[in-house]
Amino acid sequence: MAVQLDDGAERTAPGTGKGGAPPENGAPPAGRPPRLPGRRAPRLPARRTPLPSARRAPYLLLLPALLATALFLGWPMARNALLSFQNLNMKELIQHLTDWRGTGNYQEILGSEQFWRVTFRTVVFTGVNVVLIMVLGVLIGLLLARLGKKMRLALSAALVLAWAMPVIAATTVFQWLFDSRYGVLNWVLDRLGWHSMAHYDWVGTQLSTFFVITVLIVWQSLPFVALNLYAATTTIPKELYEAARMDGAGTWKVFTSVTFPFLKPFFLATTFLEVIWVFKAFPQIFAINEGGPERLTETLPIYAFTEGVGNLHFGMGAAISLLTIVVLLAMTAYYLRLTVKQEQQEENEL
Amino acid sequence: MKRSLAGRIWPNATAVVLAIGFVFPVYWMFNTAFKPTQDIITEDPVWFPLHGTFEHFATAVNAPNFWTLAGNSVIVTVLAVGLSLLIALCGAFAIARMRFKGRKGILLTFMVAQMAPWEVMVISIYMIVRDADMLNSLLPLTCFYMLMVLPFTLLTLRGYVAAVPKELEESAMVDGCTRRQAFTKVVFPLLAPGLMATSLFGFITAWNEFPLVLVLNKEPAMGTLPLWLSQFQSQFGDDWGATMAAASIFALPILVLFLFLQRKAVGGLTSGAVKG
Amino acid sequence: MKRGLIAATAVAGMLVSVAACGSSGGKADADGFKGQKLTVWVMDGSNPAQWTKQVSEQFKKKTGATVEFKVQQWNGIQQKLSTALSEDTPPDVVEIGNTQTAAYAKAGALADLGDLKKEIGADWNDAFNKTAVADGKQYALPWYAGNRVVMYNKKVWAEAGLKGTPKTRTELFRAFDTIKKKTDAEPLYLPGQNWYFLDGLTIGTGADLVKKQGGKWVSNLGDPKVAKAMDIYKQYQAFSTAPKNKDEATPQQSEVFAKGKTGAVIAMGYEAAEAIKANPEIKKDIGFFTIPGETAAKPEGVFLGGSNFAVAGMGKNQELAKEFLKIALSKENDGQMVRESGWTPKSPDLADAAKENPAAAAAAPAAQKSGGTTPPIPQWAAVENVPNPIKSYMTAVLGGKSPADAAKDVESEINTRLAKQ
Repeated sequence: MAVQLDDGAERTAPGTGKGGAPPENGAPPAGRPPRLPGRRAPRLPARRTPLPSARRAPYLLLLPALLATALFLGWPMARNALLSFQNLNMKELIQHLTDWRGTGNYQEILGSEQFWRVTFRTVVFTGVNVVLIMVLGVLIGLLLARLGKKMRLALSAALVLAWAMPVIAATTVFQWLFDSRYGVLNWVLDRLGWHSMAHYDWVGTQLSTFFVITVLIVWQSLPFVALNLYAATTTIPKELYEAARMDGAGTWKVFTSVTFPFLKPFFLATTFLEVIWVFKAFPQIFAINEGGPERLTETLPIYAFTEGVGNLHFGMGAAISLLTIVVLLAMTAYYLRLTVKQEQQEENEL
Repeated sequence: MKRSLAGRIWPNATAVVLAIGFVFPVYWMFNTAFKPTQDIITEDPVWFPLHGTFEHFATAVNAPNFWTLAGNSVIVTVLAVGLSLLIALCGAFAIARMRFKGRKGILLTFMVAQMAPWEVMVISIYMIVRDADMLNSLLPLTCFYMLMVLPFTLLTLRGYVAAVPKELEESAMVDGCTRRQAFTKVVFPLLAPGLMATSLFGFITAWNEFPLVLVLNKEPAMGTLPLWLSQFQSQFGDDWGATMAAASIFALPILVLFLFLQRKAVGGLTSGAVKG
Repeated sequence: MKRGLIAATAVAGMLVSVAACGSSGGKADADGFKGQKLTVWVMDGSNPAQWTKQVSEQFKKKTGATVEFKVQQWNGIQQKLSTALSEDTPPDVVEIGNTQTAAYAKAGALADLGDLKKEIGADWNDAFNKTAVADGKQYALPWYAGNRVVMYNKKVWAEAGLKGTPKTRTELFRAFDTIKKKTDAEPLYLPGQNWYFLDGLTIGTGADLVKKQGGKWVSNLGDPKVAKAMDIYKQYQAFSTAPKNKDEATPQQSEVFAKGKTGAVIAMGYEAAEAIKANPEIKKDIGFFTIPGETAAKPEGVFLGGSNFAVAGMGKNQELAKEFLKIALSKENDGQMVRESGWTPKSPDLADAAKENPAAAAAAPAAQKSGGTTPPIPQWAAVENVPNPIKSYMTAVLGGKSPADAAKDVESEINTRLAKQ
């Protein structure tokens, strides 16, 4: 598609035709009407014919972003890709040696059972967490909408506190809460009657370690989903709800017939982000038990780091990290394709 | 639509439980930070810092280079976020408002850029920076942090720009504004909440980054606060009190920023997310 | 002096190709150092104040150059060190943990210090020096090392009616039993992953953690001698309710000990200071004794944990770095390390210095008679990287698994790590 005149590139309000997302959603907050510039000496309206400069405009605007991405992401990625074909250990790093290994790293990784087990584990882990985050996040968001003003403010504040807690600080606190001997959680469980939990080793088995990690990640991620969902529901016109209620719809029905369709793009976009964020979760898993016990809670990013940076086999690490992107791309392919399709549709509608 | 008593109580009860659940870890961080060491390592938890002490905060703040590192962190974070907002805004405007060849490809590029495995790329970044003789400088750090937040910022702002009705801009232009004026005077103010929202995300990311600064800036005075935070957990054992005090100090700016900008932030991120 | 320098230059010339861009021999006469600056990386907690002061002063006086100590944090040190050594201007002298030295040496990162060892270290305890040698070459010089002792609470022991200190393991366990019965204190605080204590026990049972198989190093964790050491560990650990899945640093065992409710800990000498920092009251109750062995004649095997000083192979100031090492590792300054930090004496004539420090005095007999280290092969360092498979092994055995099964679970991981590099 050729460049179109931007002035002519009139488009429908964003979101329309896509599950009925509200165009005004997120638009200026009420009470802040846009300030129009004071009238000055009227000038002739801008020329309406396409200028070469107008053709170039989008590219010029995008230039800094593209340039920066090429330089600070593209370059390291390319370098990373080169490293993935090398045998790069401490010796090669220190002596500045380049030792090409062909596809050796990839063969070794793809041929190892470990990699496939970690991949499978990562996919399951991401799935479980994202589902938990989305379901609980939506429930809390809906709860916020139902609360009185004061209560809503209190819960929002609590959510914001959790959300803003820096990851490094949060992981440290969680380690402490789940400590087997001095942790608060075991103490509480003991007092509540589960005496066998008094010195329970939370990071002793794969499942319990994942439990701790999941609690941490869900705790950190819920506020984003819940608060945004609440904010989004406030943009749904009241009449829609009233109409649904008149038809005798219950809470669930209202959600499925009004809220969900209305906010579908929101759900898709948020799920996409959460998939990426959970999949890439690094400090959380690493801090809790360094991927242990016996490397059983390693997800792909941890696996890549432990092999690459931790054990100083940088070439291996690079190869794993590239395979990691492939896996992530596969997991998000649906959304990526959907987005491209929608954009195409929009462009065609013009 | 009358709700039973139980129907009115359970949302509030749930909310209280949830609020406690979300706040507790944050509270525990501050609580531990203020407790004397003997109250931290105990069989029975000490719920309130009754024998409050600033000793751990003193340890944390008196660690070498604290103020220098704090300064570096602020500089790097603010610059990285500021630059990424600026660059992203231009890009977001182009993608949201204009039609041109390669648009979809560019959009896809930024979506995929969010997946970059930064932790592992540390070594290739290190080699690039080393070979460019730029180690121990805040500049490369700023650039890479900027890029860590750029894709998210751009995509979110794109949603936000798209949500601003085009008509507003046009009426301003009819009123005699140039396109640029229309943007700065009409569109930009409407984007303010979105800018704040995305900048919060950026602040958190840049503020927390550890693996890269660890290898790029080994000169003690060129580090950032995460390096400082990690030093209280050492081979010789963790100084939990100092760690928690340091974590409190570390978290405080972000917590304040969040509480301050919360209302705008939430709306902003929504609009970004809704535009899919 | 001049001859030493010529020799040093010659050695530098012989180094692996790495050094080619390093040492430029010409400017190396004593006065030539004036105004130069030497950078020395030391780990957090390694260099005590008085030692640092006197070494800096002596160095300045002798060479006219200044030394800058840069204290490094432990977190991520491997990434920092390996990248730093690849730079054009690496730190001139680095402290490297003794279990890590062989790996860095093999990577060609370190300069040969063979002549210097002959010059200043003829009488050093061989157990100290072993870790500084790789492939028969001296790539580092031992700086300090220490070994674990029993740090006990005199008050608790008195309360239990115990007099004197145990001379054999049986006596020690009997003492723990008495404390358990007669007081409400925990007889021993020993978490499940104090891996260097286990390493000491394996030295005691004469076990080898690795063996050569078909020209390759492989795990020997399944060896009955290792199982025997692990069994001793298990007997110790049975006296403690400390977490089986944690090491002695989380939480810091000295802080647990500081509460006064613990009979004893297996600790390094410097941990006493940390306990006192957490609770000054505890100071008068702290005592030390050598970890007793099977018989009174031979103390329990101990791991000599410590650090070496190495000179960066790409360093620009190698001659000056060697001058620094001559001063930093002089008898006087080594004695200061023993006095000030309670490290184990490196040579017999430093025994007097140890007398002034009760922890060092308790550590010395074991170091001399039964001190050892981890396998001194370059591949070993990788085994100890987090997540350390031996720690998993320990937790598994303490949780009830048979040593043979637990060893089987982690051996493939150990072998993978040994095979790479």
